[in-house]
Amino acid sequence: MTAPAVPVGAGVVAARPPGGVISVVGRLVRRPNGFIGFAILAIFSFLAAVPDLLVGPLQTAVTATGPRLAPPSEAYPFGTDQLGRSMLNLTVHATRISMVIGLLATVITVGVGAVLGIVSGYVGGRLDAVAMRIADFFLVLPTFVLAIILTGIIREVIGTGSREIFGIRLSLLVIVVVIGITSWSATARIIRAQTLSLRERAFVDRARVIGASGGHIMGRHILPNVMNLIVANAVLTFAGAILTETTLSFIGLGDPFQPSWGQLLEAARSVGAPGLGAWWYFVPAGASVVLVVFAFTLVGAALDSVLNPKLATRR
Amino acid sequence: MGVRYIASRFVTAGVTIGLIVVLNFVLFRMMPGSPERLLLGRMPGVSANVLETTRERWGLDKPLFPDQFVAYVSSTLQGDLGFSYAARGRPVTDVIAQRIGPTVLLFGLGEVVAIFLGLALGAWSGWKRGGLIDHVGNGVSLILYSTPYFLLGMGLMIVFATGLGWFPTYGMRDVGRVYPGQLEELIDMARHLALPLATVSLGLIGQYAIVMRSSIVETLSEDYITTARAKGLNDGRVLRSHALPNAMLPTVTLIAINLGYVVAGAITVEVVFNWPGLGTLTVDALASRDYPVLQGVFLLLSVAVVLANLLADLAYGLLDPRVRR
Amino acid sequence: MTDRLEAEALPVPSATSRRQSPLPKLADPAAPLLEVRDLKTHFRLERGWVHAVDGVSFRLNDGEALGLAGESGCGKTTTALSLVKLLPSNARIRGGSVELFGIDLVPKTERAMQRYRWREISIVFQGAMNAFNPVRRVRDQIAEPIRYRLGQSESASRARAVELLDLVGIPRKRAGAYPHELSGGMRQRAMIAMALACDPAIVIGDEPTTALDVMVQAQVLQLLEQLRVDLGLSLILITHDLSVIAETCDRVMIMYAGRVAEEGPVDRVFREPRHPYTRKLLGAFPSIHADRRTLEVIPGQPPDLVAPPTGCRFAPRCAFAMPVCTEVDPPDTRFADGVRVACHLFPVGDADAEAPAAPVPAAPGPGPGAPAPSAPA
Repeated sequence: MTAPAVPVGAGVVAARPPGGVISVVGRLVRRPNGFIGFAILAIFSFLAAVPDLLVGPLQTAVTATGPRLAPPSEAYPFGTDQLGRSMLNLTVHATRISMVIGLLATVITVGVGAVLGIVSGYVGGRLDAVAMRIADFFLVLPTFVLAIILTGIIREVIGTGSREIFGIRLSLLVIVVVIGITSWSATARIIRAQTLSLRERAFVDRARVIGASGGHIMGRHILPNVMNLIVANAVLTFAGAILTETTLSFIGLGDPFQPSWGQLLEAARSVGAPGLGAWWYFVPAGASVVLVVFAFTLVGAALDSVLNPKLATRR
Repeated sequence: MGVRYIASRFVTAGVTIGLIVVLNFVLFRMMPGSPERLLLGRMPGVSANVLETTRERWGLDKPLFPDQFVAYVSSTLQGDLGFSYAARGRPVTDVIAQRIGPTVLLFGLGEVVAIFLGLALGAWSGWKRGGLIDHVGNGVSLILYSTPYFLLGMGLMIVFATGLGWFPTYGMRDVGRVYPGQLEELIDMARHLALPLATVSLGLIGQYAIVMRSSIVETLSEDYITTARAKGLNDGRVLRSHALPNAMLPTVTLIAINLGYVVAGAITVEVVFNWPGLGTLTVDALASRDYPVLQGVFLLLSVAVVLANLLADLAYGLLDPRVRR
Repeated sequence: MTDRLEAEALPVPSATSRRQSPLPKLADPAAPLLEVRDLKTHFRLERGWVHAVDGVSFRLNDGEALGLAGESGCGKTTTALSLVKLLPSNARIRGGSVELFGIDLVPKTERAMQRYRWREISIVFQGAMNAFNPVRRVRDQIAEPIRYRLGQSESASRARAVELLDLVGIPRKRAGAYPHELSGGMRQRAMIAMALACDPAIVIGDEPTTALDVMVQAQVLQLLEQLRVDLGLSLILITHDLSVIAETCDRVMIMYAGRVAEEGPVDRVFREPRHPYTRKLLGAFPSIHADRRTLEVIPGQPPDLVAPPTGCRFAPRCAFAMPVCTEVDPPDTRFADGVRVACHLFPVGDADAEAPAAPVPAAPGPGPGAPAPSAPA
């Protein structure tokens, strides 16, 4: 590994991640925590990509084949639920739902946060003051309770029914949007801070002097320089989004027709699985949540030390 | 601490609470259909008297702004949060008041336990960074941090309640049991409290340990730590007198800021153990679309979090002489 | 408690008489106060060991002030911190000895070292703003070592701290201040007061005046000088400011790339620098008396201390470099006037002669093309 012994010169413009995406990923997987994180995420991404190939189509109350609430057996390695569905089948299909919701929510959160952060930091003035006041407000607020109310209200307003977009039921897309609305503020704060320091750098001044528009400077000069930060932030946001989705589903905002891990855990609770000793009902989905969130946290930490070598050399 | 610092903190908290009230009003009006239909239509068996009072109180036959807004704000300030749909027209404040006690008991104790243990674990592993304790502690903290509270609760329940039978699985007291004395009732409540309390504490310990660890590591690279070591003070004293007081500063703020986030996951613990607090109330209200109660809970928790942040800011002012201006 | 600090200017006392606490049991009264031999302190990095201090030897006699000078990164601070083994976790002392009263501190454990820190060797750190804990009162931070190292009561140690602050010219009513409430000069004075708390044998000043403006610098230096004379302290003063050494110190040690280039009495070394590096350093230094235009710049960079060059480490930048310089480590050559030089230009000392040997060019030409003088026979 080639972490520089001496801190990189302060005046240097670090316009790109050192060595491009491939090299960053390469250095990530060479760190033990990065490697473990990546391996776990690769496995779950694979499950999410081709669930039908692995365990067949999602079982429903009609297509359930097994005995009811049976412990793991040869035919049903993860046991069955109270309807006789295979927990293996359900958990693998839930992987797809949870990962996709997590991904979409991350895209919205980071997208909104990054745009607001860059614009607010670059334009400054009253816009900045107002935007950051709102961001602080959202940071303090118990956003989860707000998310519960918003989900409920939005679903009443638009009346979800069984409509689907991109194969995802509208009721779940509401969760995606609500997660985005309630969690953009941390990203915006971080990106804004970086933008503020970039705004004072020489290359931005140069661009301004030769008459580049604000939009051009933000898109061509600031965005590439906050990209590292955005990626690192997205990794951690992904973990948070999966946790939020799981928790929202657990308290009854999931969709039984497209079960996510949280939805399975909710089912386990309402059936009384822990009280009945039916550990197989919640352990697979629970372990999946913990593993994926853990993996994202590991990758996030590894990414941080790869992209900020200065931190790594601190004793 | 100077008057200006205190005043500015109070103003910030006041503005935030004001924004919360406005947000609550907006949420309230976002609901489909006329507010009147929503307010009244879902309350079977409500007396005409209550309907009339409601209509008047909320100014429902007047324009949205300013009349309804003013009516809403003034009634909120008077502690009138409307009526619960599910509880057949009982005032929201009544419904909430009934559930506050158990929640405060559970989370108050949980926070205290977690702050002590979490900060101790974090300080210890940060102090011995790179050592066995650090690696194990860090790993455990990260896994605890990655685990939703309710999952932790389900795990603890199946092992210690269902499996070993040491603790009851749900509720705050045995159903239908008549207690011969107060002591017996207290003991029974403690048995019911044990697992939810362990869940809340464990869930928080991971977070607090991570925050404290990084804060300690940051602090240890400061020059005054070198000074303290140069003075020949032993490790324990360097930690107690120099590293901890400084590392506590950012931790206090972070704990307060995270409180809003913590409240969320913590709600679900009550659901797992059927603990009769605000968490179960929230979930029940959600299931019966009892929005006034949901909003009441939201308002209460938001204000509580803002006040906790205010307290943290004031504590910071006391702990750090540099902000006493 | 007999308070020697309040005594008027004492004649330079002996090591034993002026100490209020007894010497460690194993101390050898005949040994010099501090004797450092061939000290090697290295730092481990991913790409190898940094030879930050690589064979440094020197002696500090009782009541003496020794100045350590050199460019930043030459190992002067590491040398000083090695004396009390106050090193970062990736540093190791990989050789040599540090003998205080004849007791070697290098093999001591961390716990055993705590006994020597501050009571025998204390430090005035650079930048008192960061060296003081920002959330504790200055007075309490000074009282801390008195309380815990000398075992005095809470109130006695506080009272003593206030006395010490008084001694360095900080009024009693400011004693309860927090570090940020004091001016830079006052903080540095308070730092000095703290260094005196346990009545140490040696005080190390690590760039004690660097962060201060010129007027305050002069005051703080004057205070240090006065305390040294009054209290008979032994002082190691680290600085890149040669005029500070000229005014304050008895002896000076010039370091380059982890090694001692030249060492000797201040007036001898500054008046007749022998090592080419010393000459360059004196030339590069903007003295108050000299015209700034005469300032010389030393061409080139200090060597990479992970893989230091063989032979003399200054050779790549030296105008007088000879073939032998890049092959053989220069020997330590001692002169009758007390100066020690590590340079191939001086393979033999002049134990008999009073003045340095003739072949030293009086005014070395700055250009790299300057002809190398022939080595003395």
